[in-house]
Amino acid sequence: MAELTLGVFPSLVGSMSLDFSFKLAEAAMVKGHKVNLWLSGNAVMMAKKGQKAFKDYSHLEKRMKELIGKGMEITVCEACAEARGYHKEDVPEGMKRASMDWYLAKTVKTDRLLHIGGE
Amino acid sequence: MKLAVFLSDWRRTEETLERLKADKLGIILVENGIYHAVVKEGGKDSPVLSKAGATFYALTDDLETRGYTAANVNPKVKLVNYGDIVDLIMKDYEKTAWL
Repeated sequence: MAELTLGVFPSLVGSMSLDFSFKLAEAAMVKGHKVNLWLSGNAVMMAKKGQKAFKDYSHLEKRMKELIGKGMEITVCEACAEARGYHKEDVPEGMKRASMDWYLAKTVKTDRLLHIGGE
Repeated sequence: MKLAVFLSDWRRTEETLERLKADKLGIILVENGIYHAVVKEGGKDSPVLSKAGATFYALTDDLETRGYTAANVNPKVKLVNYGDIVDLIMKDYEKTAWL
């Protein structure tokens, strides 16, 4: 088993890259790999619980919780979240908040890194 | 260095791709990047597919989402699923880039 870290910056609504990230993470976990997910920039909109699932919009909260339950580590950039008005009490269960140091430490130690830039 | 480049857009990224060099280069077409595998302009392949020494892949899910099938794909391009991409990242290439 190896470790894959994904650094993801695009938003949930308006980009498909966050969907791609979760599908790739799930496929990696199925193959027995450990996956870390760092959400930063507009991707921190995943750090707001209780989002409504519209038919034509991406909605990843359910999948995110399932993956956390299976061992995926999801951490959101604390400063990016606060800058957008998402506070500690808004964070879905199982998701962590941290500074950029968390991501930097993972990039050094992880076996593979995929950094997906934002809009 | 063995480098896998994810190309996620139809435009804007070709010049960056041209400057990238690696001992082994894989170009993985995802999201709107899959159009490089299926669209011909003026009867010509996308310039992305002329990158010397590269191996080309396209994500089947993103291809089908946009209404294409394997029959539409340029023969230079191998079709892959998410599991295949995981194996490319973990086994075949050491570094990744997202364009």
